Amino acid sequence: MISRFQYFKPHNLSDAVQYLEKEDNSYVLAGGTDLMILLRRNLINAEHIVDIKAIPELSALEYSNSTGLTIGAGVVVNRLVDSEIVKTNYPALQQAAASLASFQLRNRATAVGNICNASPGADLPPSLLVYDALVNITGPHGDRQVPVDQFFTGVKRTVLQRGELVVSLQLPEPGEGDRSIYLRQTRLRGHDLATVGVASRIKPNGKVAIGICAVAPTPLRLFALEDKINERGLNKETIDWAGEEINAHIRPISDVRSSALYRLQMASVLLKRGLLNLIGEEE
Amino acid sequence: MEEKKYRSKYKHVGQPYDRKDAQEKVTGQAIYAYDLEFPGMLHARCLLSPYARARIVSIDTSAAKALPGVRAVLTGEDSDILVGLYMQDKRVLSKGETRYHGDVVAAVAAEDEETAEHAVSLIKVEYEPLVPVHDVDEALEGKTLVHEDINDLKHYVGVFFPQKDSNIASWNKSKKGDLETAFSESDLVVENEFSLPAVAHVPMETHVAIVQADPYSNKLKIWTSAQSPFAIRQIMADSFGISETDVEVHIPYVGGGFGGKAGIHLEPLATLLSKAAGGAPVKVRATREQEFNQLPTRAGMRGRIKTSVNNDGTITGMQATYDWDSGAYADYGVNVGKTAVYSGIGPYRVENASIDSKTIYTNKVFSTAYRGFGHLETHWTIERQIDILSQKLGIDPYEFRMKNLLEPGDKTMSGEVLTVSSGSPKDCLTAVVKEIGWTGRKSEEEREEEWKTGKVRGKGFAMLQKAPAMPANTATSVIMQMNGDGHVKMMIGAVDFGQGAITALAQIAAQELDIPIEHIEISAEIDTRANPYDWNTVASKLIFLGGNAVIKASHEMLRKMKDVAGQALRTDPENLLHANGEIYHRHDPTRRLTYKDVALGYMYPNGTGIGGPLIASGSSMADGLTNLHPETGQGNPAAVWTFGAHAVEIEVDVETGNVTVLKVASAFDIGQVINEKLVYGQICGGVLQGLGSAVLEGYKFNSDVQLMNPSFTDNKIPTMKDIPLEIVPIYIENPQHNGPYGARGVGEHPMISVPSAIGNAVYDALGINFHVLPLSPEALVLGIQSGKKSILCTDVDCLPGLH
Repeated sequence: MISRFQYFKPHNLSDAVQYLEKEDNSYVLAGGTDLMILLRRNLINAEHIVDIKAIPELSALEYSNSTGLTIGAGVVVNRLVDSEIVKTNYPALQQAAASLASFQLRNRATAVGNICNASPGADLPPSLLVYDALVNITGPHGDRQVPVDQFFTGVKRTVLQRGELVVSLQLPEPGEGDRSIYLRQTRLRGHDLATVGVASRIKPNGKVAIGICAVAPTPLRLFALEDKINERGLNKETIDWAGEEINAHIRPISDVRSSALYRLQMASVLLKRGLLNLIGEEE
Repeated sequence: MEEKKYRSKYKHVGQPYDRKDAQEKVTGQAIYAYDLEFPGMLHARCLLSPYARARIVSIDTSAAKALPGVRAVLTGEDSDILVGLYMQDKRVLSKGETRYHGDVVAAVAAEDEETAEHAVSLIKVEYEPLVPVHDVDEALEGKTLVHEDINDLKHYVGVFFPQKDSNIASWNKSKKGDLETAFSESDLVVENEFSLPAVAHVPMETHVAIVQADPYSNKLKIWTSAQSPFAIRQIMADSFGISETDVEVHIPYVGGGFGGKAGIHLEPLATLLSKAAGGAPVKVRATREQEFNQLPTRAGMRGRIKTSVNNDGTITGMQATYDWDSGAYADYGVNVGKTAVYSGIGPYRVENASIDSKTIYTNKVFSTAYRGFGHLETHWTIERQIDILSQKLGIDPYEFRMKNLLEPGDKTMSGEVLTVSSGSPKDCLTAVVKEIGWTGRKSEEEREEEWKTGKVRGKGFAMLQKAPAMPANTATSVIMQMNGDGHVKMMIGAVDFGQGAITALAQIAAQELDIPIEHIEISAEIDTRANPYDWNTVASKLIFLGGNAVIKASHEMLRKMKDVAGQALRTDPENLLHANGEIYHRHDPTRRLTYKDVALGYMYPNGTGIGGPLIASGSSMADGLTNLHPETGQGNPAAVWTFGAHAVEIEVDVETGNVTVLKVASAFDIGQVINEKLVYGQICGGVLQGLGSAVLEGYKFNSDVQLMNPSFTDNKIPTMKDIPLEIVPIYIENPQHNGPYGARGVGEHPMISVPSAIGNAVYDALGINFHVLPLSPEALVLGIQSGKKSILCTDVDCLPGLH
């Protein structure tokens, strides 16, 4: 590791924000599962590492009927996997969490870190997108709240400004009869990045929501496709049609992991399978 | 997975004993080269070529040298040492031209790794990028030579055949019969091409070497994670112009090798750095990325095969051309190529045949041995071809194989005559085909019906054969000493890098000496100053050669014990028998002594001693092998063949391409099980590793021949979750008359032909013949969507019908 950095472990949010604003080349350390790779491969020159794990309020994983689910920036992914609340109320999120990397990595990696790293193929965003998650941000100029579908601005890029820190994710209460599922394609059954990942949700009012990763520079919520599906009414014919239509709403690339052609195919298959599952018509 | 019950007729041989090293390893006590630290030890980091091929215009190391804590900085200007197993073609440090993206351009030894890495980042190199040799076709055109000096390279003459002014490191040949007539007079001639990419070994412990070069003498002390202590000794002596005895090689526990740690790797670089740093010990440790892009791989291979058959299913002729993409250096690659000329038509009776096998230089990561030593690759060609032939003939693939498989009296490709002692390919095939319930190929109607469900099942099987690829004079040896407590200390020269060598050899010793296996003390650690010679721990040869050496040493030990006991019991040693750690008179069992009584010499009641500490030894050498004729490839290269077969049942998800392996049945004619637990482990491990080659693994290079997947992010191997739902091991025990208890080796074999069996099952499921690996989910889906029945390449660009 070439980077020689100052390590700072603040015990409250304002110290963290102040430090991040003051120092150049500062990086936030939560789980570190993405940061360590950047350091090890000398892809960044970190002069300061701000470890946020000692800030008490960031470790909260809470649910209430009024505010829904709050996931603090220090909450590791395995806590989502093991949470009955998450499993019951946000099944797609629990499934996405359980599919992310390996058990050991999930013990370190945080859910908030997974969005801040802003990988196009990150597993949690599709589920967060279909649940209209809000990103709570604090910074030198105060707090702000950004819908997760506006959080990503490009490959490995987000709306976060210098000195800003994501405090938590907030997922509104889903309501009675809400259903969701996350399906992903990988190269093997074990630990792998998603070739494509699709979260599908049917809300209590019968409307669908679709989130997808690894088919564009950022994870996407497919609003336009959702509207068309909702217009047609959700049934087997619509789902077959949506399987075709989805390819008009995504822009996958070919890379070492997959060809664009296969990603298009898998987006179609995973959407169809997800929706069919949710309406109880598994293939 | 349920373990099949195996019953051995022997007390120790065949029993499912725990590995002798198991407890030390699972409790974390085992020490590996990776763990070793020495006073004053320095750490090395390397600057690797960023180009597959480039001219080094200039190197400025001044800033690196000036960094505090840096003790040595080396470039190609500092040493012209050449290394190589069979071809001395590899510079320890590049000079003039780099030959692959991973060639060492400069190296630093410093007080810690961070300083070394920092120093490396301060080295400034000006390169002139050159157009690389991308693949075997470009290499064979020969417009650019990877090694301009190929005509002058020192090599093993008479066994390897570098071609003048070319990129061919060795062109090995074999031929017999009259192929031309066979092709012109047979009912059907079928020609096909099959290929597969380079893959990585991925040992858990990466390559590590520590060398301390004595500044006052030629002495080199080496601690390394390696399979071949005595080969390292010999090659180091050769390359550095010193005597073998000047080189001491220590091998602690080794965290896996699979052939990738055979031969010599980081030791010469560590030596040069230690010399430059005034003799301080220097540790060179490959990172996981370097394991992929600097250390060697299994070569990519393209096989072209032409086969003639008659309508009754008799194979009349076979012509195979194997082109091995060995990358920048020959290493073991030339020997892999050589092996193909005597094993490259599979376990079939073919009167008329020829094989051309070329090990070819390109500017890719170089190649070396990998479990199976070319046989996974050649069998991918042969066993898919055999399946396609049976499709074209309309004969069941089981019947077709049975008609042509080798039997006693038949000749192998090199003209060796098989006997009843050679093992039976037919027994293996019959066993696995029965185990998976083969009833013939799926019909087109059945396939279409199943297709509607989205999941299609298929069954397939494939043969395999392999003999140790080793020099005709390969040898190994064992030393046995008796401890004061009557236990036996055994030293071997072979390395137990996970295959279970020390446990299996201890079992043979326990059987011969009739003492509990716990009474055999044997260490996996090797020190060339103390341990006796072994050629290389490769080739699945140790049970055969080493087992025989243990038997010889045991016999000598017993003879010496009985000599002393005879005096003590006042009888002719001929009258003495042994059992359960005791020696007794055959007619009067009350006259007896324990081994302990004679271990360090027998002592009479009055204190007088006779005999002395018991020591015995055993050597074993391959018997009656010959080099191959350079033009015809005829000769006797195979000490012992092990035949086998896999049969698989798979389920393909036709929309995602995901393959579920429902069952693998694997049979090997191993002559005699030595340790049921170890052989079961070898089979499960080999099958899973073979499955990686079948459905997942493969190096990907871009147009600049840079490796695109140099880490676990995109260079995947199977995990626990990818294990087939059921693996059924079947041990066939037709004894090898000159093998220990009739045993043959089986270390590599389980990996061979797993891809072929899967490929044949994919045909059964989908009705599509795939000619290229891996059979990834994406490859299967694109293959299905292309509408073609024969898939030669699974890159999107090769399947234009898809767009």
